[in-house]
Formats: sequence, structure tokens, C-alpha cells
Amino acid sequence: MADSVKPDLTSLSTTAPSQAPPNPVPETSPSQSLPIRDSNSAKQPAQSEKGSSKPKDAPAASSTGGDGASDKPLTPAQLKAKAKAEKAARRAKEKADRDGGAGAAGGSAPDAGSQQSRPPNTPKKDVASGGASQKGPKGAPPRRGSGPVTQASAAEPKKKKEDKSVSVFSHLYGQQRRTTVNGAAKEVHPAVLALGLQLRDYVVCGSSARCVATLLAFKRVIESYTTPLGTSLARHLTTHLSHQISYLSTCRPLAVSQGNAIRALKLAIAGIDPSTPESSAKATLCDFIDNFIREKITVADQVIAGSAVEKIENGDVIVTFAGSNIVKQTLLQAHKEGKRFRVSIIDSRPLFEGKSLARALANAGLDVQYSLVHAISHAIKDATKVFLGAHGMTSNGRLYSRVGTALVAMSAKERAGGVEVPVIVCCETIKFSDRVALDSIVVNEIADADELVPANPPQQVTGLPDPAAFTTPPVEPKKGGKGASAAPTADTSASTRTPSPSPLANWKDTPHLQLLNIMYDVTPAEYVDMVITEMGSLPPSAVPIVHRMSTNI
Amino acid sequence: MPSTSPALTPGLSSFLKSLKSNPIDTSIENLISLLKRRQICHSRSCATATAYLLRSVVSLCRTSESSKLIERVQSVGRRLMAAQPREMVVGNIVRRVLGLIRDEAEDDRDAEFALSESESQPQTPRAFDDASLPLDRDSLALGAERSTRPPLTSMFSLLSHPEPEASLPSTPGSQSPGGHYSGNNFTKDLRAEVLEGINEIIDELGQVDEQISNYALEHIHSNEIILTHTSSTTVQKFLLRAATKRKFTVVHAESYPNNHEVTHATVSGTRPDDDELLSFESFQKPLIAHGITVILIPDSAVFALMSRVNKVILGTHSVLANGGLVAAAGTRVIARAAKVHQTPVVVVSGVYKLSPVYPFDFDSLIEYGDASKVLPYEDGDLVEKIDVQNPLYDYVPAELVDLYITNLGGHAPSYLYRIVSDHYRKEDISF
Repeated sequence: MADSVKPDLTSLSTTAPSQAPPNPVPETSPSQSLPIRDSNSAKQPAQSEKGSSKPKDAPAASSTGGDGASDKPLTPAQLKAKAKAEKAARRAKEKADRDGGAGAAGGSAPDAGSQQSRPPNTPKKDVASGGASQKGPKGAPPRRGSGPVTQASAAEPKKKKEDKSVSVFSHLYGQQRRTTVNGAAKEVHPAVLALGLQLRDYVVCGSSARCVATLLAFKRVIESYTTPLGTSLARHLTTHLSHQISYLSTCRPLAVSQGNAIRALKLAIAGIDPSTPESSAKATLCDFIDNFIREKITVADQVIAGSAVEKIENGDVIVTFAGSNIVKQTLLQAHKEGKRFRVSIIDSRPLFEGKSLARALANAGLDVQYSLVHAISHAIKDATKVFLGAHGMTSNGRLYSRVGTALVAMSAKERAGGVEVPVIVCCETIKFSDRVALDSIVVNEIADADELVPANPPQQVTGLPDPAAFTTPPVEPKKGGKGASAAPTADTSASTRTPSPSPLANWKDTPHLQLLNIMYDVTPAEYVDMVITEMGSLPPSAVPIVHRMSTNI
Repeated sequence: MPSTSPALTPGLSSFLKSLKSNPIDTSIENLISLLKRRQICHSRSCATATAYLLRSVVSLCRTSESSKLIERVQSVGRRLMAAQPREMVVGNIVRRVLGLIRDEAEDDRDAEFALSESESQPQTPRAFDDASLPLDRDSLALGAERSTRPPLTSMFSLLSHPEPEASLPSTPGSQSPGGHYSGNNFTKDLRAEVLEGINEIIDELGQVDEQISNYALEHIHSNEIILTHTSSTTVQKFLLRAATKRKFTVVHAESYPNNHEVTHATVSGTRPDDDELLSFESFQKPLIAHGITVILIPDSAVFALMSRVNKVILGTHSVLANGGLVAAAGTRVIARAAKVHQTPVVVVSGVYKLSPVYPFDFDSLIEYGDASKVLPYEDGDLVEKIDVQNPLYDYVPAELVDLYITNLGGHAPSYLYRIVSDHYRKEDISF
């Protein structure tokens, strides 16, 4: 939808100085000027490393503040040093892999060396070095170029300043999402490359969808795989896959279901007798993948929808949060079976996944009510059931799902008058995890905070000049360029009078301002009454048992 | 909703400007239409506009009797409240002005009662002397330098005291000349005192945030993590006051879709020059300028972060006598999440937001807003098929609130009824 508006905006931007699109482009450059320019000019990577590591040190020290300082002095220092060494080694390996793949091997070998030799490598700096290493030998220029292109979706991950990571979640900032396919190892199959970008841009979104897409991509990888001489398929294919996996995880952290599927696949590969001929082994694996998808997801979804439909009665008001595929399937099936009920969808920023669910249900003729997170207490008022999808279930019975789910479940349990609304979670067993989490901070995924910056205001739809533009002094184009960190208040009157650029547009230059965009939250087990899986309907406490059963087969 | 060009949009400041030049009836109509069109919509703006309007009403009301004044204020007040019944501050201000008039009337009555008590002994014999009474009254009044004393005998005072309004019109004909004369004096005085009282209310509205923020240091301590919601000025000032002495972290939920733009502007320090707010806080530095880390989160992440939050500080739209409050949509889940995590919830609110009304139907308090904010025009095809809801307010029950901080200090929610009875008279609660 943003794309369709885009031409208007850019054409407009020449007349009205207050447009959103032109701003971010110059705005990024001052904020990142140091590292980018360094790595830009540095065809000699050693210099780039030196240049970028220096500014890294200072902010890291200042931003991590308490954590870093408290950790350093005592014996943990040794631990830390060890961790650093490990990390450096790992990174060097990755780097070597990548360099080997990227073809520009000549220039990057010393790069890896310098990285390895660089001892100070706290988790914080990891962010930056991850970003730097991602750029690879000639990463920066195309990245810059790709900026405006992906800007339409407002999902362009920018390099984070150290300062901007929320300290409570600092353990989750470890990895900067990949922006391009640049620097990917040569082993990475094109299908996986494409999938990585789709995952990153939420084109493929949702735990099951990601799992299926990954498996299908891996199937193509296996189909086009030939065992190198001197090794066996069972041994080499696993490492070959792990390149694909590590690439995928740089695009977006792997989902619980993806992890489980990969584990199962690796187990299947390991179980192949080395003496089997390659073609039949590949056929076996492809069959395995097909079966796995069918068993764990396709049929499982049908079974779950079938038993969830039984829970829906005529006259129900069903509240759901965001867009879960399995919930959609359930509701559509119940509608098909002639049950009469109302659906209330609660949606949230920034992904608005509920919108597509609302569209699908409305097109099927269901009675749909749509509201955002702020209206939970109103939506839940006349609810009779809450259906939730899951990203995963932790071993302590907690529901790990799109951020906001916990609020819905909690509201369902707090209704005045003591009437509690049953909360039903639809979840395939492949989403069960052996991890435990007490709160949403232990396990989570940090998405790019720029997604929270409102992209383009709806006023622009008509393409008419914005009336407010007349009242605006033409300070606007300068504002982005000069990097308003020096005097943010000076620009305020100009930037807010026109609704076009969000006040957050240059939040990265605003000191002490942080944006946090987490993807998931953890719903306490006591808010969940029932988990419907393909193995039956369980209480949340049964999750670890079922997980053991389903993985031990 | 935020006025894009303050010069063109009518609002509080344009209303206040026009108040002096326009005839009073025009001003009343003006305010009614402003309220109806939501062009004045913040609680404090509504309260200020109402107070200024009532001041003009009272000062222009050439009536001689407090009952007439009360009637006049009541009729204006009713119309204002009918214009926007969910802005309960309008009713609150009207009630307070009514209470002022009644108080002043009663004070005068008391004073005069006391006076007549003290002077009644010599008077009593002459009280039935019709002819001499007015003269005596005049000379006595002049001599005592008390102009407020009506020519009533002690017996009349006794009878009239319980029913002050009724007594004046029902003064017996024989005493009407004297009664009229001193009554005139008395209302002039009364009006001046009422006007003074209204000015005090206006002053209070201007200072209320400062007064509330004086309590900030008691409640916010170093290294705390404070969660707040929407861009309430009261909360911002509260936090700013604490920020002058302490370092803490603020987690700010953005309250999408109704107030996120202002919230974004607040956290990034680019406060919009909304003309209604201009006079109050346009020169305020943002929290981040004080070195306070502000973390902006979407509303959905409240539960996830609540386990790390030390205190939730909320602004409100209005407070009800039972300790519950009507606040921006999304507040209830935040308060509930805080309760679940045993995090204290502090509500900062001026006393003027405290409404004596106890509505039994809470749904009637909730206003629904623009659906296009939830589902933008790009998704127009959906709008026809689905029911989009955008409530503006939430009712938060009293049990979810741990503490109220008003300009009078901190109170438990259960104590609010007492403040209500201090500020409003019970005959005004439903007028």
C-alpha cells in the first residue's frame, strides 16, 4: 500500500519541502558518517577496521554504562576474555566463509586477520562488528543504494548506534539483521537467499509459514546438492545446510518451529546410511521433508482446526489477536460448517497482521469487528472466547506469541463480574520448545525500531499539496541534512506543523531517546486454558511432556 | 485532530480572545459549538474555557440576588454540559462556581446573621415599628460599616437561614424597601467575591501541574523505571520535576492511534505548537534534554516490559467519585498489567478533573473516535465489510489504582469521595 502512494510522494517532494521520503536519505548519512565513510573509502580493509572500531569503543563504553563497568573488574574478566576469544574465532570463521564465498577473497583475508587480532569484543560491539562484517568487502556502497529502494516498506534496517539499544534487552541485540544478500557465503543456495530476504521483510511471516518455507527451500538445496569427493552425504550435507541456516538466521532469528524442523532434518540426514547412493539418499530426504511438512503442519493444522471448530458455538463472540493462520483456518471452517458467530480482531502496530485476517474473514462473509490494542478492554467486554495463535510454547507452559497477546489473554481473565473468558491457543506441536521463560525479556526478538516510525501520513493519499505546507517555512530540507542532534528543539516548530515528517524521523540522532520494537511476549500459563494441538487438547502444563513425546519418536 | 495551522483553527486561545469582544450569548454559543466540534478537547482547556466563560457570565449578570445568579449559571452550565457530556470537567467547573456562589451567599447570610444576633437585642423591640425601621436600618448599617445586613429581625433570620434563596423573594412587603436596598449591596459584594473565586479557579487551573509536580520527588527515585502512556502534560511535568534531581528511565507507550503523534513529539522533544497548549508548555524542555532515557514502545509491548517497571504513572481524562477514572484508551490494560505484576499505579490529576458524578453505566462515558485512524483510507475496501472501532477512553476501576496525586497531595482512591464533598456541594451534584 505504501508503494502505491510512493510516486505521488516523490513527485510532490520537489514542491513541498516537508515530505517524508527525501528526509531519511540525508538523515542516515550524518548519523553513520564515520563508520560508513571509513568502510567506503577503505578498499584496504585493515584501515576500515581500524576506522570503525575506534568510534565503536567510545559509545559502547558510554552506553553499556552500568553493565559493562560492573562486569569488568573482577574474575568475570577471565570469563569475558574467554567469551571474547570464542566470539572472535567464530566471527573470523564466519568471515572466512563469507569471504571465500563472496569472491573478493584477495582484499578480505587481512580483514579477517585483523578482526581476529582485535581482542576487545564485548557483546555491544558485536552489533557493530556484525554490521561491519556483513557489509563485507564492498558492502557499503550497494547498501547505501539499497536504502531508498527498501524505504517504501519502512522496514529498512539501519545500522544501530550502540546508544540506541535498550539496556534491559541488550542481550537480544546481538545480531543486526542482514540488509542485502551481499557477503553471503557462496554455498548459500539462491532459494535460501531469496527466502532470507522474504523472512526479513515479513513477506514470509508466521511461525508455520516460515517453517514450511524453510523446509521447501532446503528441499531444493538438497535436490541440487552433490556430495564432494572424499566425503559422505551424511557428513557433508549437514555442514552444507548449516551455511544455509546461518545465512537465514542473519536475516531474521530463527523461529521455534524452524529450529525444530531443522533439528529433525539434521537427525534424518545423520540417520542415512553412508553406503546409500546419493540419489536415493536425496530422494529419501526429500520424502522426509514432504512428510514432515504434511505431518507436522498441513495435517496438523487440519486436525487442530477440526477440534477447535468444535469449541465454537452459535452466538459466540470470538476475540483473536493479530493474524494467526491456524486461527483463520479454524474460523473459516466453522463458518463453512454454518456456525453463526462474530469475530473481533485486535491488531497491533507495526505489522498490522490482523488486517489480512480481517480481510480474509470479511471476504468469506463473517461478521468481523476490528480494533487495535488500545481497545482491548472494549473488545473483550462481550467476548465469549479468545482464540490465539502461537509462535511457540515454552516448556513451562507459557505462550510465546506476537507481542500484545499477553495483554489480550490477561484482559480475558480480568473481566468484571468474575466471568472469565476461556483462552484457547491453537498450536502445532512443532512449535513446542524446550526453552523456558519467565518473562518476555528472557526470550525475545528485537525487530528494527525504525518500523515504529510512522512512514507516510494518510493525508498524502490524494496527492494534493498539503495545506500545511504553505505555512511551513522552508527549513525542512535542511533539517534532515544538518543532523538535528545539535539543536533538536530549534526544528521543532517547523517539523511538527506539517504532519508529514514524523517527530521520530531522526530519533537516532536524538540523545537519550530509544525506540523498542520487540516481536514477542510471553503469556503466563495461568491465562491459557487450553492448548489445541494435533495430538489433542491439553492444558499448558502438558507442553513439556508432549514436546518430549513428539521429539523422541 | 491536532490543529495543523493554529491561526485558522478555532480553539481555546481564539475563544478566550473573542470572549472579551463578543456579547456573552455569542460567547456561550461559541463555546458550545467548540465543545461539540471537539475543537476544545483537552480536559484543562475545557475547564479553562468554562471558567473564563462563567466569569464573564457572572460579571455581566446584572441580577441582584444570588438565586438569580445561581439560576443563570445553572442554565449556562446545563447547556455547556449538554454540548459535551463526556467532558466532565465542564460540569465540575460549573459545580464549583455554583458552590462558590452558594458559599458566598451563605457566608454573607452567616455574617449578617451573627451581626443581627449581636444587634438584635436593642432592635427587637423596634422590629415591629414599621415606620422607623428603614431609617434605623440605614443609620445602623452606616454606623456599623456593614452594608450587607438586611433589615431582618432575628426571627426572620432564623427562619430564612435554612433556605437562603427562598427568603429573599419572600420578604414581606413591609420590609421590602430596606431589604431591596441592602440586598443590592449584598449581591454586588457577592458577585465580586464570586468573581474572585472564579479567578482563583482559573489560577488553580494554570498552576495545577506545578503543584502536582511538587510531589514528584517523593515518588520517583533514582534508577527507577517509570512507565507512562499518552502525552499528558501533567505527567510530563511531574516527570520533569523529578528529572531535575534524579536519574531514571521512562518507558513511554505511544497510545496509537489516537495520540501517538503528540506522544512521539513529546518524547522526541518536538512538542507541537498546538495553540491550546501553547501558553502552558511550549517552552518546556523534553525529558531527554534532562538526560533521562526515554524508551518509546508500542502499546502492545506493555505487558512484556511491565516486569521491569517500578512504577506506572498515568494521566487521566477525568476521575470519578468512586476512585475510578476515565482515561485514554489503553489505560485499563496498562493498569491491569501493572496490577498483575504488582507494580504500583499512580494517577496524577488536578482536583478539577475530579467529578462528583457517579455514573452507573460506564459505557456511557466512553467516546468513540475516528475509525479511519484505525484503518486508514488505503484499506477503504475493508471498511465496508468490517466493523472498525476506535474508543477514545477507557474506564479504569478504582481497584487498579494505587495512588492518586492531586494538587492537594497524595490520596488513596478510597479517599476521593471526601475530596469530592470538599469541593462540590451536594445540591449541585445533579443540577
